[in-house]
Amino acid sequence: MKPRVAPAIFLGIPTVFLVGLFVLPLLSMLVLSVWRTENYHIIRDFSFHNYEVLATEGAYITFLVRSLVMASAVSLICTLLAWPIAYGITLYGGRYKLLFSLAFAVPFLTGEVLRIIALQGLLGPLGLLNGVLLSLGAAPLRVIMYTNVASAIGLVYLYLPIVVTVIYLSLLNFDQRLIDAATIFGASPARAFFEVTWPLNLFGTLIGFALCFIPCLSATLAPRFLGGPNGTLYGMAMAQQFGESGTWALGAAMGVVLFAVSVLLVVGVARLIDLRRTGFTGFGRG
Amino acid sequence: MSMKLGKWKPGKIALLATVAVSYLFLYLPVVHIGLASFARNSNFPYPPKWSLDIMARLFSNSLYQTALGNSLIIGIFAALLSTALAGLATIGLMRHAGRRAPLYLALFIAPLFVAEVLLGISSLIFNGLFLGLQGNMISAILANTVHCFSYALLIIATQLYRYDWRLDDAAMVFGASPARTFFEVTLPLIWPGLLGAFIVTFIMAFNNLEISFYLLGATPTLPSAAWGALRYGVKPELYALATCVNLIVFALLAIMFVLMRTGLLTFGHRPERERSAV
Repeated sequence: MKPRVAPAIFLGIPTVFLVGLFVLPLLSMLVLSVWRTENYHIIRDFSFHNYEVLATEGAYITFLVRSLVMASAVSLICTLLAWPIAYGITLYGGRYKLLFSLAFAVPFLTGEVLRIIALQGLLGPLGLLNGVLLSLGAAPLRVIMYTNVASAIGLVYLYLPIVVTVIYLSLLNFDQRLIDAATIFGASPARAFFEVTWPLNLFGTLIGFALCFIPCLSATLAPRFLGGPNGTLYGMAMAQQFGESGTWALGAAMGVVLFAVSVLLVVGVARLIDLRRTGFTGFGRG
Repeated sequence: MSMKLGKWKPGKIALLATVAVSYLFLYLPVVHIGLASFARNSNFPYPPKWSLDIMARLFSNSLYQTALGNSLIIGIFAALLSTALAGLATIGLMRHAGRRAPLYLALFIAPLFVAEVLLGISSLIFNGLFLGLQGNMISAILANTVHCFSYALLIIATQLYRYDWRLDDAAMVFGASPARTFFEVTLPLIWPGLLGAFIVTFIMAFNNLEISFYLLGATPTLPSAAWGALRYGVKPELYALATCVNLIVFALLAIMFVLMRTGLLTFGHRPERERSAV
């Protein structure tokens, strides 16, 4: 038998890479989460102390609930906004479709910090919004900046592009002649949408939702600079354990919680979907 | 192209209005800070009093120069590595995985579903606690590569999806070695996808904060320098910095777009399934 060298190279190298630098770090986070930190030293004895703290201390529960609400609201808003945007581009973009969709992907690439700086330019105390209000003779608005609303606006701003891109790609691969077929056979546009377009693009929509929900759930930067004193989110509290407080083990436990919620979401989405029903034809041509 | 003009139904108007408003929402802040960084009246540059003072202040700041160098190194190496690995993985998935393809695919795109900050923190724990490594550039590059790998895989996959593997078989039947087949048949046909993946992953790694920050210790990158400065309030220099990066990103994607339009580069959707608007 011929030795199978090619699979070992093509599949083996990326697999080893990901196991070594992606799976092992996540496992080490899991291990650290059942250890303890005392005075900046890590004590290696097994206990669920960190999880007890997270489950009983009011502040952490509040942060988690707030994060879940925030991530759900933001992902829902993003998905609801992204659908008409992506649909509009595919329907009316014509030969400029590509340009329109790229224009949506650009902001996603400029990095979170720089985009938060840009948002400060819009919403901040000296930003555009207040500048316009001042030049119109009105009083500056102090309500928006440094509240949970500002965090939400910021997160929508940060993650709308990726949701639009994912739903756009889903619509692009969707055969629009199916809608024509439905209308020819007498379906109203609304019925054609809900019985053909929506179910066939549900997979893409849910992926878009998940790709917005997961980073929002672990958001650290947006709440720190846009949210106010009542705006601490779970991810932000977790980052503090690795910075100022130096309680790595507790932070690791918080990381595990965030990771577990993300996995639950992905598993839920995967179970919700019947791939064949959504027109998924497999990966590659074999 | 059969755009029926004069058919302005309410649904169409609502759709187009949503699109227009969302572009405005996305680009208003970008344009605002762009104007602000080239104006003396940087708080409210309407109309702008043009000046290059802020830009000059940015470019004379040595912290940002060091940071730019580090970000460039991270960006270039993470992009090279992730593009190469994702290229291997995509070909492996399509040619060699067989029935196990879904399993490999799940592993390869898993990093998409793990938040950046978790990647950063878990790599920090792994390096610091289990390998005894201090923060260093190589760890930062590798951790960024993990994150960029999945994006690169998706971009390359859209290109390779249309690739006709019979071309490779044909070359091998006529006696070309696998290596020669790759460099003379496969690579010339798939390079646009690789280039696209390289550009996108470069921009992503260059701008990354949450992964690099935890793995670098005190070494500054452009985003971490900006983040540090942001804690002491927004200064016009930060607007200027963001504007410079925005301009570079726009330029890179504009180049990609022109190449795609002129047909030098083709990737994305399959032409036979492309259909004009209603």
